[in-house]
Amino acid sequence: MIANPKNIILACIAASILAAFSSGGCGKKADKGLEEVTYRLKWLFNISVVGDLYTDVHGIFAYRGLRVTIKEGGPERDAIKELELDHAQFGVASADQVIRALSKGAPVVVIAQLFQANPLQWIYRPEKTRIEGPEDLKGKTIGITYGGNDETIMRALLSKYKIMNNEIRFFSVRYDYTPFYEGEVDLWPIYQNAEGVVIGEKLHKAGEQVSFFNPDKFGIPFVSNSVITTERMLKERPGTIRDFISALLQGWREALDPANKEKAVATIHRFDRDTPIKIIRKQLAATRMLMKPSPEIEIGRIDVEAWKQTERIMLEQKLIPGPVSVEKILGGVHRFRDHRSEIRSRRSEVGDQKSEIRSQKSEVRNQKSDLRPLISDLYSFN
Amino acid sequence: MLHRRIYQFVIVYFLGLTFLFLIKYVLNLSDYVIPSPQEIWHTACRVFARYLLDVMDTVSVAIIGHILSICLATIVGIIGRLTTWVGSFIKVAAYNIQAYPIVAVAPIIFILLGDGLSSRLLIAAMICYFPLLLSFIGILSEPVGHIEHFYDVTERMSWQLQVKIRAFENMNKLTTVIVGSATLAIVGTIVAEFIAASAGIGYSIRIALYQSDLAKILIALFLIGIFTSLYLTCLEWLGYLTRKRWDRN
Repeated sequence: MIANPKNIILACIAASILAAFSSGGCGKKADKGLEEVTYRLKWLFNISVVGDLYTDVHGIFAYRGLRVTIKEGGPERDAIKELELDHAQFGVASADQVIRALSKGAPVVVIAQLFQANPLQWIYRPEKTRIEGPEDLKGKTIGITYGGNDETIMRALLSKYKIMNNEIRFFSVRYDYTPFYEGEVDLWPIYQNAEGVVIGEKLHKAGEQVSFFNPDKFGIPFVSNSVITTERMLKERPGTIRDFISALLQGWREALDPANKEKAVATIHRFDRDTPIKIIRKQLAATRMLMKPSPEIEIGRIDVEAWKQTERIMLEQKLIPGPVSVEKILGGVHRFRDHRSEIRSRRSEVGDQKSEIRSQKSEVRNQKSDLRPLISDLYSFN
Repeated sequence: MLHRRIYQFVIVYFLGLTFLFLIKYVLNLSDYVIPSPQEIWHTACRVFARYLLDVMDTVSVAIIGHILSICLATIVGIIGRLTTWVGSFIKVAAYNIQAYPIVAVAPIIFILLGDGLSSRLLIAAMICYFPLLLSFIGILSEPVGHIEHFYDVTERMSWQLQVKIRAFENMNKLTTVIVGSATLAIVGTIVAEFIAASAGIGYSIRIALYQSDLAKILIALFLIGIFTSLYLTCLEWLGYLTRKRWDRN
């Protein structure tokens, strides 16, 4: 049968088809080797997610055995809800979102804190508006997003410095900055590392200077974006969490490393085409300062005290009905580090046992070698 | 008529709510995703009065916007019924402008007019105006041959009489169009408030959304539904009275 040329041709075709399928199959197999997870961001693709995108684009997730679908966030997106509905396995949420969710029984766990300093600050023109401290806010028109975390922060600050509502004017803020450009509003809430750079650049071109009012400097350390997952993930897939967070933090470290500046800028520009590269470079520098304000602060560190303070602020403003003990769900890098050190100590324990066994074995061997001449003597005697 | 509309709405609302609870308890979701009945009740006790005022504010803007657009659509419809270049131009322009999503146009309106009453009114009117206009042009440019013929032959036809005849003969259609566009006016106002205003129930929904508070949104939806039913019933009743009066004449 094989000798028939027709059959040979058919066999060749079948073999090549099989080869093609098997090579495709190999690819799929390799793909299948990666664990699929979805990661819902808090906001649109911009500089605030540079580390997240860098981790994915530069294959760090894949290296850890993960295929991550990164989804943009937005005002109508809520990562916590998506985690609970299993539409995503990881997400980014602000501390107020997490605390609100906890107060309503959402099984959410914080595994890393991205921004160590809150990027949410108020931009103002120092030549027109002089602000040395919170007292100077009196008589000013302050932009706030009613219902947003900037409202919570500003109200906490005003309450701390005993500034009454009738001493300032609030302006309801939207995405249109015209009221600030026109001078109708003195202070406008922005993400200092993202919009802050863009607006600052525009005003600089118009010959104006900008400054940022940072409530953190005046004792309101409100925690911003953090990486979250669910309790179920923690119980059922701790390995996935460890791989994910290790990859993500490595990605962030690399993205913020000055040596990788151009790679990080190119990564963001690939997703955020509207922002010029020159601006992205400035945004990256500003982001670096917020993610790692000092060399000793590690990327991803959870500032437990700041979280507790955020909870206190929300309690004072009656945004949650009662305490939630937020520190209990702050797993974070240290939890996984503890886990690792536990593994490490277990490993060393096992190692000790092994070496003990080894020494026992060598003892037995020595005893055997001691016995050997006796045995040989015995044989020779026989 | 009123009680039927109200209880029909209440049935639909509570069916929707039951469906949500079913999902909540089957999937074991927290109150953060879908609030519990107790939480909805507590939220209702807390925000009902405030939301009631917000809905009244929204509905009043929607009614004014609706009346404005009815008047404008009537005027433009009368001009547009002419089979002239102006009439066809108005039709084409109306179709084209209607194709633009209001969420794209609204920010421009708010930049120009600010986030006060005028912007909300304009957006509400814009959303319900174009469907009204197209229907009005259609109705008013359709001749009622068997009646108009008599006046044409006797040379007693005037444009006022022509409009009256066509409106009278299509009163049911007009009432349906006006009632249908009323819901659009309310939706338009809520969308406008959601996008950029600083008052009304759309604005409150936006704040609730920022706070991830579905309970508040459910209360707002309940009040919007009740007030929409009330307004629609009023319009149907007005249509019924007009028809009755014209029949008597």
